[in-house]
Amino acid sequence: MESLAHIAFGVYTALIVGGACIAVLARSLVRSLVGLVATLFGVAGLYLLMAAPFIALMQILIYVGGVSVLIFFAIMLTHAAPTGDESKSRPVRKRLNAIFAMTVPAVVLAIQIIVHGPKGFEMPSEVSLPELGAGLLGPYLLAFELISVVLFVAMAGAIMLAWRQWGKR
Amino acid sequence: MSALQLYQLVALFLLCVGLYGFIWRRSLVSMLICLELMLNGAGLSIVAASQHTAANAVLGQLGALLVMGLAAAEATLVLAIVLVVTQRFKTSESISVSELKG
Repeated sequence: MESLAHIAFGVYTALIVGGACIAVLARSLVRSLVGLVATLFGVAGLYLLMAAPFIALMQILIYVGGVSVLIFFAIMLTHAAPTGDESKSRPVRKRLNAIFAMTVPAVVLAIQIIVHGPKGFEMPSEVSLPELGAGLLGPYLLAFELISVVLFVAMAGAIMLAWRQWGKR
Repeated sequence: MSALQLYQLVALFLLCVGLYGFIWRRSLVSMLICLELMLNGAGLSIVAASQHTAANAVLGQLGALLVMGLAAAEATLVLAIVLVVTQRFKTSESISVSELKG
């Protein structure tokens, strides 16, 4: 059982690493989106390994089903061509900035995690679905309601923004 | 290395790749993709920290759920902003909106 979990962890991590590299480095935006979807599936697999199947399903439902479709709409509506903005050359300073922004948190946080990080339990704690539901309707009710208000305001704001632009034409 | 540390390292990888892409990319849509990568790393870190330690596991899972909801709200708003920028500037490059009109 233990080695099976290790194999599954390796597979999901490979999916995450490969997908993230494609998402960041691909010239074409659609390929980059496909890399993002692969990463999202890998993270959902890791949630399953952590004994959080509800969060894994929500990850697939919200991210793969909702957010990635939204990003696909954004790609279509901006008429992004594969030979467009992304394939132009960039100044060297920009590459240096990007590498700097990546390495500083990587080095600092990796040292913190490896040297000083808590060991934690080997087995994840089990949370049943009724406990999650009781949490949503009990102590965390305010956050649950506020997130619906935030979603509503975001949708209404998005429609307002797009509406004005279309009205002008 | 324990399981918790491995999960945290994967989350850190997602954060760093997202940061790299966020600065390296030109168009607004691919910056949004890198932002989603970073938010995924955050959710992974929260759930790992709550499932593998003595912390409240219900709070961790619900926190990750709230992060997903915020990511969805932010993606809709960014989609609308990208639309407005594309219609006004005829391109979705981030550099085109960096100049002030005097």
